[in-house]
This record gives sequence, structure tokens and C-alpha cells, in this order.
Amino acid sequence: MPFEGVVMPFEGVVPATDDDAIAGVPARWVAAPASTDEAAAILRGAAAHDLTVVVRGAGTKQDWAAPPRRLDLILDTRRLAGVVEHAAGDLITVVRAGTPLSDLADALAPAGQQLALDAPLPGATVGGTVAVNTSGPRRMRYGTARDLLIGATVIRGDGVVARAGGKVVKNVAGYDLGKLLTGSYGTLGLITECVFRLHPLPAATAYVSRRATGVDDAGRMAAAVLGSQVVPSALEVDAAPDGGIVVTVGLEGVPEGVAARVTTARQLLGGDPTVSGTAPDGWSAYPWGPGDVGIKLTGALSRVPALLAAGVAARQRHGVPLAVRGSAGTGVLYAGLPGSCAPETVAGALDDLRAAATRAGGHAVVVCAPPAVRDRVDLWGPVDGLHLMRRVKEQFDPAGRFAPGRFVGGI
Amino acid sequence: MAAFDDDHPPRADLINDCVHCGFCLPTCPTYALWGEEMDSPRGRIHLMSQGLGGEPLSDSMVTHFDRCLGCLACVTACPSGVRYDTLIADTRQQVERRHPRPLRDRALRAAIFALFPYPRRLRLLRGPLRAYQASGLRRLVGRTGLARHAPTLAMMESLAPTLSRPVRLPERIPPRGPRRAVVGMLTGCVQSAFFPDVNAATARVLAAEGCEVLIPRTQGCCGALSVHAGRRSEARAFARALIDAFSGGDLGHRDLDHRDLDYLVVNAAGCGSSLKEYGELLADDPAYAERAAALSARVRDLSELLVELGPVAPRHPLPVTVAYHDACHLAHGQGVRAQPRALLRAIPDLELREIADPELCCGSAGVWNLLNPEPARQLGERKARDVLATGARLLVTANPGCLMQIAAAVRRLGSATGDSTTGRCSAAGDSSATGGVAIGLAHTAQVLDASIRGLPVDALG
Amino acid sequence: MTATSMTATSTTAIGTLAARLRTVLGTDRVISDRQELRTYECDGLAQYRVVPALVVFPHTAAECAAVVKACAAAGVPFVARGSGTGLSGGALPHADGVLIVTAQMRRILELAPADERAVVEPGVINLQVTRAATPAGYYYAPDPSSQQICSIGGNVAENSGGAHCLKYGFTTNHVTGVEIVTPDGDLVRLGGRAPDAPGYDLLGAFVGSEGTLGIATEVTVRLVRLPETVRTLLAAFDTTDAAGAATSAIIGAGVVPAAIEMMDALAIEAAEAAVHCDYPAGAGAVLIVELDGPAADVEAQFVAVERLCRDNGAFEIRIAADDAERALFWKGRKSAFAAVGRISPDYIVQDGVIPRTALPDVLRRIGEIAAEHGVRIANVFHAGDGNLHPLVLFDDAADGQAARAEAASGAILDLCIEYGGSITGEHGVGVDKAKHMPRMFTADDLDTMQLVRCAFDPRGLSNPGKVFPTPRLCGEVPGRHKGAHPLQEAGVAEVF
Repeated sequence: MPFEGVVMPFEGVVPATDDDAIAGVPARWVAAPASTDEAAAILRGAAAHDLTVVVRGAGTKQDWAAPPRRLDLILDTRRLAGVVEHAAGDLITVVRAGTPLSDLADALAPAGQQLALDAPLPGATVGGTVAVNTSGPRRMRYGTARDLLIGATVIRGDGVVARAGGKVVKNVAGYDLGKLLTGSYGTLGLITECVFRLHPLPAATAYVSRRATGVDDAGRMAAAVLGSQVVPSALEVDAAPDGGIVVTVGLEGVPEGVAARVTTARQLLGGDPTVSGTAPDGWSAYPWGPGDVGIKLTGALSRVPALLAAGVAARQRHGVPLAVRGSAGTGVLYAGLPGSCAPETVAGALDDLRAAATRAGGHAVVVCAPPAVRDRVDLWGPVDGLHLMRRVKEQFDPAGRFAPGRFVGGI
Repeated sequence: MAAFDDDHPPRADLINDCVHCGFCLPTCPTYALWGEEMDSPRGRIHLMSQGLGGEPLSDSMVTHFDRCLGCLACVTACPSGVRYDTLIADTRQQVERRHPRPLRDRALRAAIFALFPYPRRLRLLRGPLRAYQASGLRRLVGRTGLARHAPTLAMMESLAPTLSRPVRLPERIPPRGPRRAVVGMLTGCVQSAFFPDVNAATARVLAAEGCEVLIPRTQGCCGALSVHAGRRSEARAFARALIDAFSGGDLGHRDLDHRDLDYLVVNAAGCGSSLKEYGELLADDPAYAERAAALSARVRDLSELLVELGPVAPRHPLPVTVAYHDACHLAHGQGVRAQPRALLRAIPDLELREIADPELCCGSAGVWNLLNPEPARQLGERKARDVLATGARLLVTANPGCLMQIAAAVRRLGSATGDSTTGRCSAAGDSSATGGVAIGLAHTAQVLDASIRGLPVDALG
Repeated sequence: MTATSMTATSTTAIGTLAARLRTVLGTDRVISDRQELRTYECDGLAQYRVVPALVVFPHTAAECAAVVKACAAAGVPFVARGSGTGLSGGALPHADGVLIVTAQMRRILELAPADERAVVEPGVINLQVTRAATPAGYYYAPDPSSQQICSIGGNVAENSGGAHCLKYGFTTNHVTGVEIVTPDGDLVRLGGRAPDAPGYDLLGAFVGSEGTLGIATEVTVRLVRLPETVRTLLAAFDTTDAAGAATSAIIGAGVVPAAIEMMDALAIEAAEAAVHCDYPAGAGAVLIVELDGPAADVEAQFVAVERLCRDNGAFEIRIAADDAERALFWKGRKSAFAAVGRISPDYIVQDGVIPRTALPDVLRRIGEIAAEHGVRIANVFHAGDGNLHPLVLFDDAADGQAARAEAASGAILDLCIEYGGSITGEHGVGVDKAKHMPRMFTADDLDTMQLVRCAFDPRGLSNPGKVFPTPRLCGEVPGRHKGAHPLQEAGVAEVF
């Protein structure tokens, strides 16, 4: 018996180790159920013992959002893994939440299919990706987990198992709980199984990149591509701390089509762009590393150059090596700052970026940061409809069991 | 008291054809104006159904029936083939017979129907209008009882076109070249009084295309305005008289009657639509039923006949941009859309442009604009904006009512600086028409006439 | 409380509310005339009819909020209605409630092609958005068959689809923001012009909630660049099986067409009668396949599609030469529902979804259902995504036919569930299918969905009686009166 002498609160949980912490908050217990039923039993046990729960997959986003106010039990999903069903003819898959995205990709590829979600953080699970709604460059064409999730199984804080959606893409029966769960940071319930619509793997892929002379030039290139008929799968800007800005158009399709559109894209970008069959460095990765400050900036499409300019200005004004990278095709950018920056400096830069994002009709959200920075800044900024969100949380999780304090407004 | 009696109530089987899909709504002018169910075809059919179910013919129910322009755009739009035209016609004659209208309303209607279906009375109106002396106009309308109806009066004034000298057409016009058909020609009430040039052009075009044209002087009103207003017995009387006029001695050929006409040509959409329904209008009249059906079968819109015959007269170039407006009773009432466009496109150097929302009525609708001046003004201006947005130099249509209505709206838009016409915030696209407006207006016949005769564009509009 | 006294009470309450609403909206925009009210007794699904107590026409979000606030204060239920074209009775009025018609809120507030967005009021007609955006080279992608009249507000409520959602997705994928009136009467913005607003995706929950979470008063939609090329073909097959096989082959080849639509012989007959679309004679099924996108891609794939149709037995393939011919192909398809009125006195439009690969099996089973119940069933469907629209034909005047048609229609839904599909792909649950929800979802599933309802509308005033067969009681709401819930008192609801 590995835990001889320790009194477990109920079956299925084991004591946490030093590694079992979320955003620096240590846990008391860990459970790793292997099925929806086991997970439901665990959650019923947690309810009976009034334990708070944080769900953990591969743990790639533990330092995202706010730390939990209280952490009793980590519910690890990695045993809730595997592809349950892949109906290739129907272009759907049913997959357990703890399955790494890369495993799913391997399972689907032989049929020439994909779950068209980028994985900015290697190793991330399906469940974590849905819970945080992470996305990458190809969201321009395929949308995010929000758009691709067509069904889900969720366990509520009272242990009740519920399914929403279904196994067909077109379905308007009942509320779309999948969307509510997507991006909820595990505060409403435990997702154990997901159903996704799939896409064919493209026969050809190409990347056309060009270095811009500045923000205006990058904006011009982006606008030219958006107004054109090249139908990019991705349109990325990458503004490095050294001042260089690269615009990349990602193209997918049949070989004849991609070839023709590469030609057009080259003309639209002007100069002498590079064309490659493989993605440029940093593609689909956040412009920050572990322990750094990561900020998500959103805005209307036409305001992407303004967001970039705000990044450049903040870099100069606050003297920080700020990097900005993201999708000029959807208005979702990411800014990264070294974790070593003083909290006060980060706060100043964030104020500037948030002001710019607000003017652009979007938001600036600190997705991850070292504790000192987290304590200093408002991670989320203004949130519309917060009182409705609190009411949703209150209905789904009246006991405040799931990840208390981790989400907007202290939810 | 139930809304309808047994004398041709709206038929339950036709009402039941409506599946309530709503596809008619966007084409209905009153729904476009107000966005309310009871002022839509679907809502009116529902009201008819309520009437059959025992609801009384209340003032509000009558109001919603009255507000229908009778444009029949809904009939075109309906995928279920609901015969709204028959339903509203049956309903209207019930309303006219059974609903006591307020005195004011009765007087206005009496005045209108004492004037419009009578070309000679309309011609009397020409004098004062031509001089455009308000006092003269007022004197005249005072006699006809219109004076107390200020909005209607204002509408009439605004509608009055610039008048040209009256043209008296001969009773028989020989064909140019070999005779290809013998056609009777309807001169109409408003057309003959206000647009004599259109009739002259029609006759010339027909002759140029090899038709012998017979124009009996005894012809009066076809009854279209009456039938559309539910005045069915009045309409029947007009119809009988017109059938007589196109028969026997009145044709100027003692040995001819209407059966010897190959066609009866009409250049006014509302009249053509009504003539084509004579068979149904007089179906209950043993003396006329057969003659009515026979005449209806020979009725053609001018454009319809010209396409059927095919051209023989050479067309000369007419370098002009044209916006063609579908008159409701031509497009929806008779299904004639392609022919006028084909005839116009066949004119060298003429460029044809389409008007946005072509199915939507301009708001003229017989005498509807006189009875409902304010909504008619809004519809007219909406149409005028769409017409002007085409950038065309010439507006062409085939109905005198539309020409007057759109011309008046264009004049108002031209005189108004800034855009405050409807108060309705519109879909984008409406907003593009601005000041500095100028567009010529012509009937299809006039454009063809100009091309055949090799006249310059300036001769039009 | 007796039924009579309840009615008397509610009549008084409505009278007071009507007076209040007339001060908010003016006399013209509050309807209480019986005959006028009755014209609003049903939406596009005419077999359910309830006359509302009042009909009101707000012109602005503020007016709409004031109306809802007044309803909330009086405890009177309200139902929103756009153009009234819904096919599940989603806008069926409440007898003691207010029908809030958004049809007069029809301004396009902003077109922002550079942002790929348009901001519109809820009463704006779907097709008007596309018409407005087309000059700038953009359009609004979701295209329900009723797009010429259905409103954007209704589309948001129903999460409307359309023929082209196979490639482009549904309303929920094309709405990036809404301003709503909550059932409390507050105006709240969810989402906006930019994606990924922080917090719960309440926008995602709101779209498709069928008016039960509040009323959209402003909608921000995505505009999509008009495709460079559109190619459309009409392929005629002897059987629906062959057409189904062609569909599977096209999808299996990795092609994602903008649309693949199928009609069977009976549906073709109806469409011919209505709009003279001149489909190939003798066809047991036709497919309309449309590809759009960049010219080179579309050309390459179109050749493949044409070949796959031939390989699977198409005996005639027509390729639309121009927009007019394409419109004619579509005209037959888009008019099909109402057109069935030409060949049958009455009919039920069913809406169910199956996995696409089950198409041949399910069509065969539908044929059996028709034979068993002695009714004719025409099939029109979005074959690409397995969304069936069987049209069950009957004659209400004939003895027992209506009941048999209803039974056949229900059996088709069972079939959809049996094959792992859904009881509605785009028409919504409304009042019509609420009773079928427990066949697709467990009590726990439905209870969990209703948690959202409880968060937004604990008193169940917003479009009550829709979507869920049994309302959930939401527990005590802070600041509200205590005591038994009126629904519980009336024996309508139970406590979970």
C-alpha cells in the first residue's frame, strides 16, 4: 500500500504530491478516474466531503488565469483518454477529454482527416483545449473549439452526468451547452467526453511570408490579403521585440488551387516574399515561454494595425522586449513579456494595451503571469454580462466547488 | 353579423391554400411600410378566414382590406399558389356592398369614381391642370366634391403630369407594308386624357409592325378601377359597354365584330389585367359570358403582342440608359416581365438597368394613391430612390399610373434638400439616392416609336 | 383559485399592463383589437394557435427593454416574434402574455466590410444583409430557405442553418455579438465585433435558445467575402440511393462543397408544379451540388464532383451557365416546402438529422413508414450534413389521415434518434418538439440545460412552454417573493 497510514476521504483519491499544485496552490488530494462513471463517483465524494476541485489534463495551462482560492482535489483526466469513435464517413469523432491532441491527430490522419485545431502548447489534451478554448493561426478558416465541438459529456458538481449536443454536426435541439463549457476554465463542471466535427486534411499547404517595413506596411499587407480572393487558412503577423514584423499567409487546398493562390498572395504582399511548404518558426506558438507574462489582445479586424502599433509603442515607452504575434485574419493577437519584468512595468504596459484593445472593440486579457504580476494587475479587464455569468455559475455549481476564484470576476 | 354574405364570399378552399409561410411579406408594400401582420397578404387572408368563421366586418378589418394596394406581388411570390387576387376581389365587393362607410369616405369615393372612369370628364380636367392654376383646379374639384379632402387634393396636384396637346387618333390606321394582324386598340381613361402621346406612339408602332389598328370612338372605361375597388356591378356595366364597343358597327367595319379582331391591344397594365379577366367578371351574365371570354382571350399587352409577332420594322440606335419599372398589373397581374425587357434590349445602343426590389409597388395602384396619399407618397419616394440609384437617364414603364406616381416622387426628391421623406430607417441601398435628381419618363411604346422613327433621345422624357 | 377568477385576475393585469405599454410605445404600437390580435395567433407552423393578450411593436432596444421590464414587474409572460416564419412554433404566443414583435426594428445600423462585420437590428431580413453587403464584395452566409423574409433576430433565436451551412456553419458561427434584453428587462451586451470576449460564452448559449433567455435587440454578424467563383450542378439519378452514394463519394473525396441538396421524385413534382424549375424528367432524385471559392480550387474540384456523380449513376448533369440558371436550380429547392401545397391539401414539414452515411438506410425506412401509415412522404434535404426534411402529405378532410400523418412524422424522429441523430437540425424545438426532447435527452441532460434558463430567467417569463417539456423550478431567487412557484401551484411543473 503506497499510502499506508493515510486516511482517504473516499475511494478513488490519493494524497497529492509536491508536484500537484495549480498556479502555485498546493492540492491535498488527487484523483484520476478512468471513466465517466468513476469521475462522477469522485465528484459525488467531493461533494459529500465539501472538497473544491480543479480539473487537470496535461497541465500545460496551470499558470493561466487566477489561482484557485482553495484547492482540495485535483481531478486528473489523463486516464480518461482514447478515441471512442471515428466515423470517417460522417466526419466526426468522439474522444475522451484526457486524450492529447497529438494522439487524436495520429488516430485521424490515416483516414485523411483532422480535428482542425492548432495546439499552441504541445502536449495539451482535448479537454484542456476545450476548457480554455485555445486556438492558433488556422482559426481563421476553421474557427476554434467553440465552433468544432458538437457534443459533450459533462459532470456537474453534484455528480450528475449530462450530455449536450450530439453526434451530428447540424443539431439545434436544446441549449448549446458545449459553447458555454468551452472557455469556462473548468468552473462549471468536468468535461469527460467531446464530440467534434472533422475536416479533410488538405492535399497541399503553403506559407507565403514577407518582412514588413513597419506597422503600416504590415497593415497594408493584411488588408490586401483580406480583401482578396486567396481565402487564406491563416493570416499571421509576428512582431518580434527586435522591431521586425513578418506577415505570413497560410494557404491550404488542392495543389492546383494552392499554386494559383501562392502566386496571388506573393503579388499582394509585394516585394519578394518567401514561399515554403513548412510553417515558419514560431507558427502557432505563443510569443512567451514558461514563467513569462502572456496577454491576449482582441479587436476588430481593421484595428489590428492599431493593436500592433500599441504593442510597439508600449515596448518603447516602458522599455520592455514586448513581442506580439497572432491572427490578423481574426483580430486575435498575443503579447509576451519576460517574467522578469517588474510588476509595475507590466501593469503600465497592460494599461496601454488594454486602452488600445478597448478602442479596437476588443479586450486585453492577461492569460498567464508570475504570481507577483498576477497580484498586481486586473487579469480580465472589463467583462460584459458579468452578473449573468455569476448567475450561471451559481446554477451550475452552487457550492462553488469547481476552481473557485479562477475565472472572471472571482467566479 | 358575420362579415360576408353568400354572394361570392372569399372562398374557404382558396384561403386554406395559404400555409402561412410568409414568403409574401417582403413583396407587400404595406408590410414594407409598417411591418404589421394584418397589413400583409398573410394577415389579410387570416382576417378573411376570421370573417368566414363568424367575425363581423369591423372597421378595423375593413381598414386592413382597404389598405391593400391590389398590386398582386404576393401572388407572384407565393410558392403555394394562393389566389390572393381572387380572394381580395371577392372580399372587396363584399366590403363595398356590406360595410357602411363614413360619409366623408363615401363622398370621396363617389367623387373619384365620378371622374376617373370617364375620359371626357378627365379631359375637362386637363384645362385647369395644363394652366396649373390652383384656383381653376379647386373650382373643378369643388364641383366634384373633392375639396374637403385636402391630402387627396394635394396628391392629385402633385401627380398631374406636364401635358402635351391632345391628339385625336383616327378610327382606323392602315398597316405599313403587308397586313400581319387586325388589332383593336384600347385608348384608356387616364392614358387618353393625360398621355395622348403614348396612344399615338402605340398606334404608330403597331402600324409599323404591320398591324391594321382599329380604335372605336365609342369605347369607354374598361372598369379596371371599379373592379379593383370592389365596385363590381359598376365594373360589369363598363365591361359590357366595352365589349359592345369592340363589336359590330362600332368598329367602323359593319361586317366585323370582336371575333374578327386578331387581338385587342392594351398599353395600360391595369386595363390589360382587367380585360383579361372579363370572362370571370361576366361569367354570371348569360348575355355576355361567352363574348367576354372570347374577348379576354384576344387581349394582349402591347409588348406581349410585339414579341409574339416578332419585329419587321427596323430599329434605329437610341443611345440611352433605361431603368425599366415593372407595373404591378403587368408583371404580377399578367406575368409580363420578359417581353418589354426583350423589346428594349433589342434597340441598338440602349442600355437596360434593373431597379432594386423590382417586385415592390410604386404606390400608385389605381386610385389607391388618392385614397391613401401619405403611404402612397412614402412608397413613391422609396421607388423613386431605387430608380434614381440605377443612374439611368430614362425611366420606362407601361402604365400611366406608375408614370405619374414616380414622376411626382422624383420631383419631390429633387426639390427636397436632405433626406427626410419617410422617417423610416431603411435598409442600406435606399440611402444612395440623393439630390440633383433628373430622369426622363417614357412609356415602352414611346421608346419603341422613337427607335423605329429614328428620333433622337431628346425626343423622349 | 378557480379558473374563472384566474382569468379575471389576468385580464385586469393585462389591462393595467396595456395602459403602461401605451405610455411607453404610444397607442398605435400596442394592439388589443381581437381580430388584429388573432392575425398573430401562429407563426409559420399554423397548427398551433394561441391568441396573445397584447401585441406590441418596439422600435428601439430601449423600448424593448421597457416593455420587458413592464412585463417582468407585472409577472406577465412575453414572447418575441420576428417575421413569424418559424417552423416549430417558437413564436407561438402566450394566451395571457405579450407578443413583442421586432419586425419594425429593421435598420442596418452599420456595414463594416473592413471588419467583416455588420450591425443590424433584429427585424432586419436575412437577405437584406447580403443585399446591403454585396456592393462591397461581402455577404451574410447563413441562408435559410426563408431568407427572403426571415429576420436576423429569429435566426439568432433558432440558430438557423440553410443550404450552405455545410461549408460555412450556422448562425452561431456567424454572430459575434448581441445586445439583449434579459428577462429582467436589462440591456446586456454579449460578445462584440472582436472574438473571444472574456468570461463564459453566453453568446454561444443565447444563440439558438429560442427566445427563452431574452430578446436580441442588436446583432453583430460576420460578413463573408463573396467567393471568386461559384459553380453549381444539377445531377439527376434514378434513385435516392444512387444520389446518396454520390453524396458520400463527394464528401469521402475530401471535397467540402458549399452545399449538397437532394430532392426525391415527389418533392420534384411539387416544385415543378409551383415554380416550373424544369428539373430532368423521370428523375427519382436530383442533387444540387454547389462549390464556391477560389477559381483554381473550384475548377479542380468541380471536375471531380461531376465525375463522382456520373460514377454513381447520374443520368443527366446540368451545369449552371449563369446566375439565372443557378437561381432556377435553387428556386425549385428553396420553394419546395410551400410548393408541396400544390400537390397535397395538407402536409407536415419534418426536420431531423442523421449521420450522412445512414442516408440510404434511413430513406428506405422512411419509405416503409410511409407505406405503414398510408401516407405519401416527399423528401427534401441537406444531404451534405444529413439534415432531412421529410414532408408528410395528408388531407385533413379525409378521416384519420391527419393522425396517421402525425404518427408517421413522429416515427421519422424516432428513426433519427435510433441512428444517432437529432430531432431538429434547424427548425428548432419550439412548442412542436418539446414533447420529443425526452426521447433524445435524459432527464439529467434536460435539467442541466435548464440551469441556464434558471440563470437568465428564473421566473420563466421569456417564451414559456418552448424547448423543454417540463419547466424546471429554479429555486429561490434573491429579492423575489417567497412561496410556491405559480407553475407548481397550477400543477404544471414539478420540483427537481
